[in-house]
Formats: sequence, structure tokens, C-alpha cells
Amino acid sequence: MNVTKLLFLNFIRAKGFVIALTVLGLAGLLSLYIGKTFIENHQKNIQKTAQTQQETIDRYVKFENKEMGLLLYYLKFGLVNEMPNLAGLSIGQRDINPSTMSVTIRNLEEQKYNTELHNPMYQLLGNLDFSFVLIYFFPLVIIAFCFNALSEEKESGIWKLLCSQTDKPFLVIVQKIIIRWVIVEILLVMLLFIAQIYLQIPFDFVWITFCLVAILYVLFWFALCTWIVSFQKNSNQNALLLLICWVLLTIVLPATANAFVTNTYPTQEAFETLIESRDGYHKKWDLPKEPTLQKFKAHYPQFADFQHPENKDFSWLWYYAMQQMGDDDAQNAVKQFKNKLAYREQLSKTIGYFLPTIHTQLVFNQLAQSDLANQLKFWEALEQFHEKKRLHFYPKIFSDAPVLQENWQQWKLTFFESQIPINWIGSILPILLITMAFLMWAMFQLRKIIVE
Amino acid sequence: MTIKYAIIIAEQVIKQFAKSKNTRLIFTFFLVFLGFALWIGEQERQHHQELATHYSQEVRQRWEASPDKHPHRMAHYGYVAFRQKFPLSFFDFGMDAYTGKSVFLEAHKQNTVNFSEAGHSSSLLRFGQISAAMILQLLVPLFLFFLGYDLIAKEKEQGILKLLFTQGISWQTLILGKTLGLFLTSLFILVPTALFGLILLFFNGFEVDTLSRYGLLILVYALYFFIISLIAVLVSAQSQTAKSSLIKLIGCWLFLMLILPRIAQVIGQNVYPAPSKIAFDKTVEGELIKQGDSHNPDDPYYKALKDSVMKAYRVDSTHKLPFNYAGLVMKEGEKLSAETYNRHQARLVEIYENQQNVLRLTAFVNPFLAIKNISMALTGTDFQSYNHFQTQAEKFRYQLAQTMNELQIKHISNKVKNSADKNAKLDRQEWRNFPDFKHHFLTISSIFDAEKISFAALFFWIVLLFIPIRYANQWFKII
Repeated sequence: MNVTKLLFLNFIRAKGFVIALTVLGLAGLLSLYIGKTFIENHQKNIQKTAQTQQETIDRYVKFENKEMGLLLYYLKFGLVNEMPNLAGLSIGQRDINPSTMSVTIRNLEEQKYNTELHNPMYQLLGNLDFSFVLIYFFPLVIIAFCFNALSEEKESGIWKLLCSQTDKPFLVIVQKIIIRWVIVEILLVMLLFIAQIYLQIPFDFVWITFCLVAILYVLFWFALCTWIVSFQKNSNQNALLLLICWVLLTIVLPATANAFVTNTYPTQEAFETLIESRDGYHKKWDLPKEPTLQKFKAHYPQFADFQHPENKDFSWLWYYAMQQMGDDDAQNAVKQFKNKLAYREQLSKTIGYFLPTIHTQLVFNQLAQSDLANQLKFWEALEQFHEKKRLHFYPKIFSDAPVLQENWQQWKLTFFESQIPINWIGSILPILLITMAFLMWAMFQLRKIIVE
Repeated sequence: MTIKYAIIIAEQVIKQFAKSKNTRLIFTFFLVFLGFALWIGEQERQHHQELATHYSQEVRQRWEASPDKHPHRMAHYGYVAFRQKFPLSFFDFGMDAYTGKSVFLEAHKQNTVNFSEAGHSSSLLRFGQISAAMILQLLVPLFLFFLGYDLIAKEKEQGILKLLFTQGISWQTLILGKTLGLFLTSLFILVPTALFGLILLFFNGFEVDTLSRYGLLILVYALYFFIISLIAVLVSAQSQTAKSSLIKLIGCWLFLMLILPRIAQVIGQNVYPAPSKIAFDKTVEGELIKQGDSHNPDDPYYKALKDSVMKAYRVDSTHKLPFNYAGLVMKEGEKLSAETYNRHQARLVEIYENQQNVLRLTAFVNPFLAIKNISMALTGTDFQSYNHFQTQAEKFRYQLAQTMNELQIKHISNKVKNSADKNAKLDRQEWRNFPDFKHHFLTISSIFDAEKISFAALFFWIVLLFIPIRYANQWFKII
């Protein structure tokens, strides 16, 4: 069969195709550079945080070493939400939610939601990361390659010639599309290969899943194009229909889905959390000390033996008990708030099962640990981290342990690494099924051509 | 004569569009979609307003209900400021999803504005939000390109163009006529949208300022559509075939709407690097440490202040001063730290402004960014508006802290041990005297000032596009 070779040469010799592939490749490379910069900035930020933490601890231990309680008022401990290098390919929400948090052992709710400094205009415009290039640009090139696969032959009169020479002319069309598919996939795999080396992404199941979903996403668009082509409309109509598909899948439907998710689960609990935790702590200053202390000891029975010194206006036990109330009083609102966010993530995923663009982005972000689910896990890790610090320091504060006996060198940055359960079926099946459906429908349509 | 012919051509264009069933279908889709977007936008705005009002009242009530206490405790209890949404924000969400909505205001400390929608969203948000602005800025131009790509190129292909020119029609007439036709067609989308928006606006108690901003907003969109129509017709005139015209226009749309803004952003970030939070805090803290600790009346830095005050009042101990000395020290400390913070904050805002100016400047090659910036500014959803809120909140925070310090200076005796002392309590009436936080919006004149580059870019485009019309005879081929 020399037809394949001819079709291939025909494709490669078309100037437009080569330009399109080059532009796509360059956009891909640019996106890798942007991803690399993003990861490097994250690393720099970690270094800076570690350095600051060290310096702050050293300074305060030197100058505020009379009371443990006062010292811990100032000291901040950092937790890093570890970012896999894969996040360079799919930045997701990582440019919005801070990846390092430094907190004191005081009221956590007042610190948990603090944000990084960002130029909101840039967040609005979004990142030109690899996932963007794949989800938005690849389909356009695929559309340009395929929209006239059949109509071009018809419009130039070659189709009739072809029909007279073979009894299965649609196979030529299928072959044409397969050649284009293989070439685009080769470009994709090349980019992924470069990405893996350039961003030093470990070769593991996460990476394999990522690559598979990327490859499937490209296949999905070829399937969609073949399906449109199989209706045998003219070139202009095909181009229009495919472009409408693109606008719907990448802009209109995801934006509608987002509006739906946001309105289904509004998050007024955020404000509630803020107000409750503020009052939970600050109000206690003007209330009798005993109830606060009782509540605190009910929360931590192990500290029941510590007493507030009689006739004293202030003690660190009372102070940290008040701080604790800020967190305890907001617990209800916090729980509801976190649930809402989890529902939002779940609903988005469910919608994604039906829309490959959303699905691909969500799976990418999940694998790159740059999604909302990761942020929720990080918050939980931060809560545990904070609690651990409290449990370590509370007895020392309450017993007024000497500051200089503590080993302050041990308090380095802590790293949180979240485990992502790889859900092969959930990641691959939805997009695979949709792709197969389009392909089968397209084949059914194309077969009809000989019958006519 | 030219104008008369141009109008005839425009009429033909509109009639031709009106005949097509597909075009009518897409028009209907756009109108429904825009209506939906406006309605959703207004719902979300109202929802936010209700929450913000509810919680602002809650904060006020709790503030006023606070018992008698030491004023410095009140300064630490602080306040929470909620950002109001501008009445026009239903039209364009701008960067509101990415900016915080509320900020906790307390003495000695400038907290970040937290709880942005983006922080609570799944990755879906990054595909964009449905708003009338998004549809009008992004999707309608694509549609206009689709309608306009063959307006001249097709006639060229069919040889009708030659015929027209033999009848005495000039390039200028043809281009103007076709552009006018396409532009007027686009008004069939813009005008109903504007009217529906106006109805929604009536329901939320409109003011003259809001209304004039809305009028200007619609005008700017009309201007944008005119530029888009002109681009479509000019590309069509320049192209040999309708197909190549379409490819050029779609390529143009992709480059301008999707690629260029993101590239401009990378450039802006590299030319004007902004500090991270940790770096920013470190710089501010470094300066504050040098200034000393205002909570500690014996701090060496404040020794000079102490000496001069004691000298002025001719006493040998601060306890003998006729006012509360600790309060004075804290007032001084608050002043110094706020000044330091504001200086760094202003520098940070300047970096962000510079970064955004890189984007603004690209409007000279990309009209999309001009309309994007102007639209956000007019609907109060741009960085300027956000920063304006942040500045007001900080000013309020400063006033709160200083008012409490002054109450302490005036009413608290130097002899009280600490804030728990019974003599250190002030009557709760004092809290009521302190006014509530009120978020004011920017006025229209500050918008012109902030967006002068974008307005200039829009006019530049109009002028620029009239150059090829002027030289059409030399530049464009009839066949």
C-alpha cells in the first residue's frame, strides 16, 4: 500500500500544516519554560521561608527568653505543601493558594486563610502552562488538520476519481485522519518527553496516567472531528461546526458549569468562620476566667492539673485557653465550610465525566496536586501540624519551662506530602468512552458512503 | 453620494444576514446566553451584597454591644471590613473572583484581604466565568469575524467586485458600507443586552453616576464592535479568497484573545518582579524592628520620646504625667508602623500597576485588552477598585487603633496596672461613638485617569484602521 506513504508526503508538504505544528511545538516549549519558572519560584519561596523561620526563632529566643508563653506568642512555624514537579505542567490553583504557611500556636482560624501576595490581573488571565496548550491549542490544530479531510476531496473533484478506483473510498479518509493523528500524537509525546527531562518529573504511575490522559484527549478531538466529517458537509460548514464545538467545550460549557457549581454550593460559611473565631477569642477577655478554663480543660483533659494563679489578672494558661476558644467556637462553621468545598470539587468532577476538557484539566490538577482537593488536604495537614505544636508547647508554657532548655534548632520547616490515590478507571474511562462513542458513530456514518 | 451608497450597501449586508437561518439561530443563542449571564451576574451580586450587609451589621452590633473595657482591648478586638460590589459588577465580573472579600482589622497589624472566590473554587474557575462582558468581549467578536470574513472576499472571488467598481463605487464606499452593515448587525446583540441590563439596574436603585458609567460602558462596547467589524471587513478586502480571510481572522482572534494576554503577563512579571508575601513581610518587619517595640514603654527607641515628654511637663516619672503615657507610646508606634507598611504597600501596588501597564500597552496591538481594562474599571471590578477598598480598610484600621489610643491617653490613669484593672475600663458608649466602616466607590473621573492608556489605545485603533481605507486604492486588489 503506497497510499499511506503518499498521503503522508502530501500532508508533510503542505506548508500550513508544518507551520501549525511548529507553532504548537513552540507554544508547548514556552509553556514548559513557564512551568519550570513556577517551580523554581516555589523552591525559592521555601528557602526564604526556612531562612526567615530560623532567623525569627534565633532573634526571639535571644531577646524574649524570659517567658515561654510570650515567646510562643511570636514564633511562627512553617508547613510546606510539597509541590510535585508535575505541577509545572498543570499549575491549577497553586498560583492562588499559598504553598507555604507559617503559623503561630495561637488561634489557627485567624491565620489559615491568609493569602499570598498576587497581582489579581495575572490570576484572571491565567497561566500559559502545558495543560492550557494541550486543552486549548491542540484541538484547534486538530480541527485545522481534519475539517476538510473529506470535503476537500469532494470539492476538488478527486473524490469521484477515488470512488471509481476503490470500493472502500472511506478507508482513504480514515487513513488520512490516522496519519494526522499519529503526527500530532508524536508531537505530544515529544513534548511530554522533553517535559519529563526538563522538569525532572519522576517516571511513575502518576506520570503514566498523566501522559495517557493527554494522549486520550488528543484522540478525543480526532474522534470528534471524524464524527463531524462523517456527516459529509462542505468545508465551511465543517469548520464552523468544529469551531462551535471548540468554543462550547473550552469556554461556554465550563464557564456555565462553574456558575452552576458556585451557585449550588455558596460559601457564606467563610464569613461565619471569620466572625465566630474572632468573637470566640476576643470576647473572652471580658468574661470570667473560670468558664473559659473549664472549656479548655474539657478539650484537653491532660492539662487539667494546671491552674490559673489566684488573684492574678493574667496567666498564659488563660491566654492560650482564650485563643483555643477562637478555634473551638468556629468549628461548626469550619466543618460546614470545608464540606461545601469538598462538594464543589465533587460536583466539578461529576460534570467533568461528560466534558473531556473539564475532565482532562481536573485529572491533570489532581495528579499535579494543584486542585482544590489538595488544598483541603493541606488545610487538614495544617490543622494537625498546628495541633502538634500546641500539644508540644502547651505543657511547657503552663509550667513556665525555661526557654533556653528547649532545643530550638529542631524547629525547621515541615513538609507535607499528600498521597494521591490514582484512580485509573475514573481518570481514563470517561474520556475513553466518549471518544469510542464518537469514533463508532463516525465509522457507522462513513461506512454508509459506499452503500450510496 | 458616498454616504448614500454606503448606506445602501449596509442595508444589503443586514438583509443578507437576516435571511440566513443559521445567523438568526446564533443571534438567538447570543441573546439568550447574554440574558442568562446578566441575570446570573445580578443574582450573584445580590447574594454577595446580602451577605456583606448581613455580616457588616453583625460586626457593628457586636462592636457596639461590647461591654465596658480598656480601649486597647477594643483595638485588638478590631473590626471586619467587607467589600461591597459595585452596582454594575453584574455586567463584568472582572478580577473580583480573584480578590479577597473581607479583611480583619486590628491594632498593630495589617492583615491580608481574604476569602476570594478563587480560593474556594475548583479548577473549573480557570476556564473563565460567564458574564455579559466575557461574551461581548470574547465570543461576539468571533461571531462577527464569521459573519464578516467573506463580505468582500466572496465578491472578489465571484467577480462581482469588478462590476461594482465599474458602476462608480469606490473602495472607501464599499468598506464603509460593509463595515456599517456588520456593525449595525452587532447592535442587534448589544442594544437588547444593554436594555436588559438597564432593567436589572433599575431594580438595584441606580444613581446618576452609575447610570452615566453604564452609558459610557455600552458606548465603549459599541466602539469595540465597530473596530472588530472594521478589522473583519479590511481583512476580507485584503484577502484573495474567502477561505484565507477566514483563516486570518480566526488566527487573529486566537492570538489576540488567548495567546497575547498570557505572553504579555509573562513579560510583565519578568520585567517588574513582585515580592512574595514572605519577602514583603520580612522587609517590613526588618524596618519595624529597628523602630522598637511600642508595647514596651521602656524600649530604648522610645527613651528619647520619654525624655522629651518628661522634660516638657517637668516631671521625673512618666507616672506623674497628666495623661496615659503607655497610650502615647502606642500611638507613636502605630503611626510609625503604619507609615512603614503603607510605604511598602504603595511600592507593591506600584509594581502591580507597572505589570498591568505592560498589559495595557499591548492594547495598542490588541484592542481586546483595551476593552477588557475599560470595562472592568467602569464596572468597578478592576485592580484600582480593589486597591481602593484595601486603602479605605487600612485607613479605617488606623483610625480605629488611634482613636482607641487617644481614649487611653485621655481617660486611663497612669496608675492602673494593666487592662484588667477596674479603673482601666471605659464606658461602652465610647464604642458607639466610633463610626461604622463604609466602603465608598471610586468616582468616574479617577477611572479616566487610571485607564487613559486604554482609552488612548481605542482611539489609536480607530485612527489606525482608517489608514488602509484612505490608501485602499493602492493597497487592495480588485481581483
